[in-house]
Amino acid sequence: MSAVFDAADVQGNILRGYRKPRVRYLILEVADRIAARHWLAASTSGRGDDVPQITIGNWGRTKPETCFNIGLTYEGLRALGVPNSSLEMFPNEFIEGMNARALKLGDVGPNAPETWPAPFDAPKRVHLIATIYADEVAQLDEVQQHALTDGKAFGLLGALEGCAFPNDVVHFGYRDNIMQPRFAEVHDGQRYEDGQPKAPLGTVLLGHPTNFEGLTWRVPQPEALGHNGTFNAFRVLEQDVVGFEEYLDRAASDLLTRPQIDELLPPGAEAKIGQALSIEGLSRHAALREVVAAHLCGRWRDGTPMALSPDAPDPKVDQANFDYVGDSRCPFGAHIRRCNPRGGQIVQRVANNSRRLVRRGMPYGPLYDPAKPRDPSKPEPERGLLGNFIGASLGAQFEAMSCDWLNLGLQDPRITGSNDPITGANDPGTSWFDLPLKSGTTIRLRALPRFVRTRGGAYAFLPSIPAIRFLGSLMA
Amino acid sequence: MSGEEGWFDRFVNGLPETRVFQRLASWVLVPYWSWRTPVRPLPGGPHPSIQPGDNLQCMMNLIMPLKEKSPVGRAKAALAIAQNKDAIYAGLDNVGTVHFARFVIVGDNICMFSVYDGDFTNYIRDFIATIGSVFNAVVELVEGGEAVIPCEHNVEAFIQWVHERDLYQVPDTATDLLRDQEALNGDKAASGNDDLRLLPRKVVLQLRANANVSLGSGYRAYPGFSAAQVRNQLGIGW
Ligand code: HEM
Repeated sequence: MSAVFDAADVQGNILRGYRKPRVRYLILEVADRIAARHWLAASTSGRGDDVPQITIGNWGRTKPETCFNIGLTYEGLRALGVPNSSLEMFPNEFIEGMNARALKLGDVGPNAPETWPAPFDAPKRVHLIATIYADEVAQLDEVQQHALTDGKAFGLLGALEGCAFPNDVVHFGYRDNIMQPRFAEVHDGQRYEDGQPKAPLGTVLLGHPTNFEGLTWRVPQPEALGHNGTFNAFRVLEQDVVGFEEYLDRAASDLLTRPQIDELLPPGAEAKIGQALSIEGLSRHAALREVVAAHLCGRWRDGTPMALSPDAPDPKVDQANFDYVGDSRCPFGAHIRRCNPRGGQIVQRVANNSRRLVRRGMPYGPLYDPAKPRDPSKPEPERGLLGNFIGASLGAQFEAMSCDWLNLGLQDPRITGSNDPITGANDPGTSWFDLPLKSGTTIRLRALPRFVRTRGGAYAFLPSIPAIRFLGSLMA
Repeated sequence: MSGEEGWFDRFVNGLPETRVFQRLASWVLVPYWSWRTPVRPLPGGPHPSIQPGDNLQCMMNLIMPLKEKSPVGRAKAALAIAQNKDAIYAGLDNVGTVHFARFVIVGDNICMFSVYDGDFTNYIRDFIATIGSVFNAVVELVEGGEAVIPCEHNVEAFIQWVHERDLYQVPDTATDLLRDQEALNGDKAASGNDDLRLLPRKVVLQLRANANVSLGSGYRAYPGFSAAQVRNQLGIGW
């Protein structure tokens, strides 16, 4: 293990986000192994005349105008000719690939990998995922062209493009990109005190202490290849925005008929919610839609955490610094509480902080405007999230979260047997979600459909800068 | 097929009952078959499933041959467990997803049977994080164990090693065995090739590849609940 950590050794999108409004993913297949190695060597040469330069972790005060990063699948490492002795040191889940892990990830039925469109229908050919970040589409085009000029190294299997909406809003109308793990070694002006322990570097980089005291993940050898590398679960998650809004309608109507409704929304409380949302004369039904949305996520759509402000959104409340202790009224099953239980009581007592993920996502598809009348005869444009869930162990972080917390609810006996209301594998025949009330009782919502459908993805290794050089220098 | 059984049919049908034939079958026929139709061992543990009920109260059945096959070796194993009793309780408490764990010595094997909730790798990983030293103390006595200890520094290899020793759980529906074999060979869709006449032979060959198996996945007298649900319901804290 090297003594000092240097952010210049890791790719730039891992420890901090670029916060660029546009992203394009190029899904590439190694066409010529030798040319691909030259390409990799050139991408870290510091010259940049042949190939765009990989953005590194210490970009300093001025962010580059465009950023460029890569991830490699297991098939990609093989295609580059990484020796077997190194390949077999990678973890099983990465070797098998995302498609083979479908059951763990809830990718079943209409989400199953067999239903994924190209290029994810041919996972063996997905070798390298190059990511371009920029302000303008023209810049994305330029970098893409630059990356593929030699025309020999890679074949382009497909491209996916995302575009951020103002104020970090994502489809379904929530503010995202509030929480990320914070690292002692990394200064990030965007992240504020969140009341949580600082994450050890091993949360996200191989070769450093992990969240489990005394445990280390295997670092694929040689050291130059594995050290400071990490893994990314890249996911194309289609969001049924219309279905989501319709569900809020149904749930609000349903709630209005429940005897305990005044406990959930005391008479007149809709005015307070309306005030926070700057909507005059907000109806009880419309307010309840927001109440349901807030419970499902654990945050009001403006980002206000339910844990701090359960009755109405409040722009004055701290969005990051809170915990789930005592009788917090954030539902146990809410998305952000499932994904990060913080200091709250959970069944797996050793796991409170062990499954944290770095998230780098961006929406794709046009923003949905509920005020605009829809033409039901026309199909809705596809919308969703291009998500990157990054961690040093796919098994201990991304998969562990997906199978036991998002989809089984094992962390709390009161939600066991239910799925995450936003991104879980819900089946309206059996799904349920409990809204906690002040009195300690709950109101149960049922028949949540599946709002998020998996449309593709891949597990990728995000090599360090020395690892990219190592790959570029492979012989034979 | 004609209804009448001739003397030859009766002779052939009676063959499996004869001692000579049984010897012949196990020494010659089965090895010959398996040479003709190689069958790979099926992986252990519960069948992957998305249904919550299938992911609660899962069975782990480990049969681990002791290095020292003698009363002394068995005594060492017994002591290793006894000396770590407190740590085992602490581990169960902190991992939170285990209903019970049993250690049994059968022949010169130390067996570990447990009933746990959720994903297998999470279960073992959380255990390593809490009481890795107990795993080390037991696995040290087992054939091949030295390659994966200390488990804290060989997490992935250790989990894999345990998984490889977890018994295959023979499905209750015979044709599901064929599905498992197809899945192992990478066939995605069910072939529909369920020639039931071939099934006994396939079972024999599979049980040659997986000598120890679990029959079924454990039979419960009530639907699956998590350990924490049981504790919560009984009011004993979780
Ligand atoms: C399209 C699907 C998804 C949507 C719309 C969505 C939406 C959100 C929103 C609005 C937040 C709150 C913003 C924040 O705290 O930063 C959030 C937080 C989070 N989400 Fe998701 N999410 C999705 C899928 C996933 C998946 C698949 C995972 C993990 C496997 C995940 C993991 C997380 C984590 C770890 C947090 C941070 C929680 C915290 O630290 O408090 N999300 N998500």
